[in-house]
Amino acid sequence: MNESPSLSPKTTSEKASGVTSMNAFSRIFRAREAGIALVVIIIMFGLSIATPNFATADNLAIVARIIALNSIIAMGMTLVILLGGIDLSVGSVVALASVVLGYVLVRMGMPIWVSILAGLLTGVVVGLINGALVVKTGVAPFIITLGMMGLARGLALVITKGSTISGLPEAYLALGQGYWGLVPYPVIIMLVLAVVIHIMLSRTTFGRRIYFIGSNEDAAVLSGINVNRVKVLVFMICSTLAATEAVIETARMSTAQPASGVGYELTAIGAVIIGGASMSGGEGTILGTILGATLLGLITNGLILLGVSAYWQQVFSGAIIILAVALDTWRRRRSG
Amino acid sequence: MPEPPILQMRGIRKAFPGVQALDGVDFEVQPGEVMALVGENGAGKSTLIKILAGVQPADEGEILIKGQPVKITTPRSAQLLGVAVIYQELNLAESVTIAENIFVGREYRNRLGFVDNKAMNTHAKEWMEALHIYIDPRLQVRQLGIARKQMVEIAKSLSLDASIIVMDEPTSSLPTATSKPTELNEVEVLLDLILKLRDRGKAVIYISHRMGEIFRISDRITILRDGKLVGVRKTSETNQDEIIAMMVGRKLEDLYGQRSQTPIGEKVLEVRGLNQAKRLYDINFDVRAGEILGVAGLVGAGRTEMARAVFCADKRDSGEFLINNKPAAIRNPQDAIQAGLGYLPEDRKLQGLFLKMAIRLNITAASLGEISRSGFLQFNKERELGTKFVNQLNIRTPSLEQRARNLSGGNQQKVVLAKWMAVRPKVLFLDEPTRGVDVGAKMEIYSLMHEMASQGMAVVMISSELPEILGMSDRILVLREGRVMGVIPRQGATEEQIMALATGVKAEVY
Repeated sequence: MNESPSLSPKTTSEKASGVTSMNAFSRIFRAREAGIALVVIIIMFGLSIATPNFATADNLAIVARIIALNSIIAMGMTLVILLGGIDLSVGSVVALASVVLGYVLVRMGMPIWVSILAGLLTGVVVGLINGALVVKTGVAPFIITLGMMGLARGLALVITKGSTISGLPEAYLALGQGYWGLVPYPVIIMLVLAVVIHIMLSRTTFGRRIYFIGSNEDAAVLSGINVNRVKVLVFMICSTLAATEAVIETARMSTAQPASGVGYELTAIGAVIIGGASMSGGEGTILGTILGATLLGLITNGLILLGVSAYWQQVFSGAIIILAVALDTWRRRRSG
Repeated sequence: MPEPPILQMRGIRKAFPGVQALDGVDFEVQPGEVMALVGENGAGKSTLIKILAGVQPADEGEILIKGQPVKITTPRSAQLLGVAVIYQELNLAESVTIAENIFVGREYRNRLGFVDNKAMNTHAKEWMEALHIYIDPRLQVRQLGIARKQMVEIAKSLSLDASIIVMDEPTSSLPTATSKPTELNEVEVLLDLILKLRDRGKAVIYISHRMGEIFRISDRITILRDGKLVGVRKTSETNQDEIIAMMVGRKLEDLYGQRSQTPIGEKVLEVRGLNQAKRLYDINFDVRAGEILGVAGLVGAGRTEMARAVFCADKRDSGEFLINNKPAAIRNPQDAIQAGLGYLPEDRKLQGLFLKMAIRLNITAASLGEISRSGFLQFNKERELGTKFVNQLNIRTPSLEQRARNLSGGNQQKVVLAKWMAVRPKVLFLDEPTRGVDVGAKMEIYSLMHEMASQGMAVVMISSELPEILGMSDRILVLREGRVMGVIPRQGATEEQIMALATGVKAEVY
């Protein structure tokens, strides 16, 4: 009796969007993701017509690299948002991991692999602190990670005394600038990570627990799920992915800057929300997030190609995120 | 009838895709009458009320108010015709005052056009006092309990000059009214209030699953089943068994059912010296294999607190647990589940279910170890387990992939029960297992409890419904203010005896 007539077609599509559908086919063609994919295709089609520079190998490689970098952070953000949390510190983690890497590599003269490890470890540690504080203090992740956002950025400035570290070795720069055939390395790294995280989310008990906690934390506790452990791990994964992005981006930029990563949290959250995740947790997928990041990346690239000023680009990105959330809220309200 | 019915609904039909929700239902109420409207979930009560309230249009049929045919197309038109509906999910603004809620949309204004709080408070107080409700109208609504919120809604409907007041399960989230009034009981006050409305000549339509309340306050009872009118009975000329039989469409030999004869076994769980600051004081009890232990007590007696402390969902200050006569180290719910305990919480939506998620995922939520190998989920096993319990518990759903939120209350409760049965605990705590569940699902839950017990599980059932406690338990543990007041064997136990222990008043006083 709860289903009024207008909603009945909706329930069929809802059924298909269960967390782990059985076969690959239904997983790929879930209504929500298919919708974003369609928008992505339309935008790509529109841009190819509107500007001659879009559909060139050079430009596509540039866009793909940016989308890959944004996706890496957004995938971590997806996990945190699935828990019903948020991580505002990812942009600052990018800066901190970047300068730690640069410092170890250039100032201390360590080997490349040690430096990369140091950068990644920065993410692990920040995530551990974020997670532990969220779990131990019970303060909302929004506040904890807002604090960490300032703290990590500050540390990055302290380490470099505000300056940029350059003189990174060529062998390392390939990580951000090199290609495998026509495909930039960052895209390959992103795709590998995406497959791993997707499998973790949809096929492991750990992934399942993330959805449970985001859907109803009290019920998760009473169902015997070690909620604190899952939370800490998720914050660690999120920060480590941000640090991974920093390792690649630093190689792409050829410098380690304490000012890098500003506003990345906004792009990441935007990609997750556009990708269909619920801000209250428990709903969302990696595929959706990557499509969301793709959409944002294409729009930014399109605006550049169309000659829109960089200042307006931010305005557009912000507006699109608000629009996506509003549409999503409306959709949820309709489907009850 | 000396007066014409204030409301008549004739031949109401309403179809949803695949369901004839209402199939030619006639319904009427007299002024100064409390008409109870009963039926299982899905019988059509809510649809009938939604049509009366202008929320949904009827496909066919007519509505007469004071003998005049009327068209009710919107909630606003219903309100203008004097119909007030007080829903289970109350429509009050939590963060503003009682007075502002009563006069929402028609606030008093002073000459400058500003809201005149003083006048509103005075008038709100008048409306409430007319119903003998003495609450400060300046309080924020969020500071009130559910019963008091209902009272504010009633005062509001009175101030709107409603002549037909519909109350949709006003008490379903409150503890049962005891047979003897106690100061603690808000339900009592609410029921009194309904009688006062009746005495003022209002027609009250009262929807409830609680037979006790229906028989205390209603003048007549209308029974619906599967969208059809089964009959109307004068309350004074019928009894609970007849009404329930009419609702479920079969003769009710015994609501609570029978257990197959299995002897009660060894102690499975023994709790010794359980203390929790200001809540639980030196709780000792045990429960045996194949036994159903009922836990009775008033609100605030510490029943839920006790179950949560044993399950280690909340911290305890002291207390040890013996499982199969061996001390068990339990520090958190994971340990508790490992040790063989299960806890079905009191509020299924807030604590039991993952509403957004599929039934399949809900059922296996506490037994992920069973459906996975080295951390990877095995979907075949999961579907097998899910299907098994959907069939065994007769969960009515189109598929395992249905989201839990789309099920009825009874089926939702069965999903939570399935989650715990899948764990196969030695001791299962059930906290208000039949709250807000229709009679049919209730009987199914009772029979599942018997089944679990006869398979050797120890069941601890917390309930606010004394008939349920008496009907199901082998022994009854009575708590008061965090202390065990006594354990009564089922044989010869009476409601009076339990209430005497629960209130601390000697039985003879009644």
